[in-house]
Amino acid sequence: MINLVNIHRTFDGEKALDGLTLFVPRGTLMGIIGPGGCGKSTLCKVACGLIRPDIGAVVVDGVDLVRADRKKLLDVQRNCGVQFQNDALFEHMTVLANVEYPLRRLTDLGLGEVRARAMERVAMVGLSGFEDRYPNSLSGGQRRRVALARACVTDPLILICDDPTAGLDPVTSRRILDMIAGIRYQTGNTVIVVSSDVPGLLSVCERTALMWSGRIIEEGIPADFMRSERDEVKRFLDDARLPFGGNG
Amino acid sequence: MSLTRPIRRVGSVFIDASYEIGGAARLLVRIFRRLVPPDLDIPELRRCLLRMGYRSLSIMIATAFVVGIILVIQAFVFVDRYGLRSQLGWGAGFTTIRELGPVLLALMFSGRVGAYTAAELGTMEVTEQVDGLRCLAIDPISYLVVPRFVAMVISLVALTIIGNTVALLSASVMGDIMMDVDQHTFWSNLFAMLTPWDYATSIIKAALFGAIIAVTSCHYGLTTTGGAPGVGRSVNNAVVSSAVAIFVVDYLSTFVMG
Ligand SMILES: Nc1ncnc2c1ncn2[C@@H]1O[C@H](COP(=O)(O)OP(=O)(O)OP(=O)(O)O)[C@@H](O)[C@H]1O
Ligand SMILES: [Mg+2]
Repeated sequence: MINLVNIHRTFDGEKALDGLTLFVPRGTLMGIIGPGGCGKSTLCKVACGLIRPDIGAVVVDGVDLVRADRKKLLDVQRNCGVQFQNDALFEHMTVLANVEYPLRRLTDLGLGEVRARAMERVAMVGLSGFEDRYPNSLSGGQRRRVALARACVTDPLILICDDPTAGLDPVTSRRILDMIAGIRYQTGNTVIVVSSDVPGLLSVCERTALMWSGRIIEEGIPADFMRSERDEVKRFLDDARLPFGGNG
Repeated sequence: MSLTRPIRRVGSVFIDASYEIGGAARLLVRIFRRLVPPDLDIPELRRCLLRMGYRSLSIMIATAFVVGIILVIQAFVFVDRYGLRSQLGWGAGFTTIRELGPVLLALMFSGRVGAYTAAELGTMEVTEQVDGLRCLAIDPISYLVVPRFVAMVISLVALTIIGNTVALLSASVMGDIMMDVDQHTFWSNLFAMLTPWDYATSIIKAALFGAIIAVTSCHYGLTTTGGAPGVGRSVNNAVVSSAVAIFVVDYLSTFVMG
């Protein structure tokens, strides 16, 4: 469960989050859409305690991240898998080592089990055969998929994906979103996905939120969402060329 | 308007500087909190020691070697005019061990290791690798900063001891060649005149400079914003600020340690 209440956050006097409120019930796949620069990445980092809000409360699984000390915060973050927009791959490790790393740090599985699970996730994102490559020899889309595999390899209680489909072709993009939905159904964990593949996201997520200049202006199940009368929602969905009635 | 502008400029420079000094001081406090009791990543420390200490050895020895030679060339005029040949060992030893050795080697170290560290941590910061570590429940200070801090202090102390020795060796050889000061005169004069406190001063300074370089480079690295150009700015700031800090601390410590 993630509860964000009235979050404000400025960077150098510029508002990134401006009164954002969002409730993500436990075990929900929440899709976040919104125009560039509206604060989606900032939202993702606030939700796992990487950015401290200026004002507002962040409660994740009953822990108030704003007031928590370093130990408590690390405990929450241990259960968060985050795929960052810039991939954040460890450049000095191979693809497989990157994916294995969270398992080695956060679980006490044996070496064989770690390897097997990492290989399985690498295969799941369609990168079998790339295990021994280094991140700097991969394409942007491939790097993103490695980052996704690393974020979800421990089946974290909270999985946050910041634009896993950016720079992917439509087919791979859908496959990745389906995979995330699959993880959600298998594990029953809470998932937040930011994506610019709006139709794809609306077809897999259980609830959707539209962000607009630092706050959530519409939130609901995808079907209601597409019937929304709000101007910004209509405009955004139009711009995203959503075939109304399709996909949903 | 035209009068207040330069004042405002000076003011903003001071405000910026105190902001950075405050940030670096806060980082230093965090480092010390993790040093007692020790909470640092040992394999990372080993990697840092290898890269920062061992791999810097050749360039530091080369620097020290040249320093020794220059010292004697510069001293030649005075030594020759006042007939101080017998005092060359003391002169060279005192200057090298107390002042030139620690400062020049620290500047060299800052240019090599400090700049590298600022760039490395800066890149990790802008590519969100530091956030990635936090999500693996790894504290970036214990994992990245403390090992670098400890490694830089140890490396610079060790390199300064080695560098001082090399500089004095090259000075003694140069003294022999240029002004007929034989090895025995040089070294017996040096050992007779230098006190243990002189050697201690050298080591204390090296440790202080190592800490300065570590804190500035890690501070600028971890506060990098703005992509690749930001990394460049951080490296630049780290090198300039540690040089300034080294000179200031050198002045103060020379003053305090007599
Ligand atoms: N570290 C930072 N320093 C300064 N400004 C920042 C920082 N991070 C975000 N911002 C600003 O906050 C706003 C929101 O940024 P954010 O990255 O959350 O947008 P976004 O919705 O993820 O955009 P995109 O879809 O392009 O990824 C932007 O205007 C950005 O300039
Ligand atoms: Mg973003």
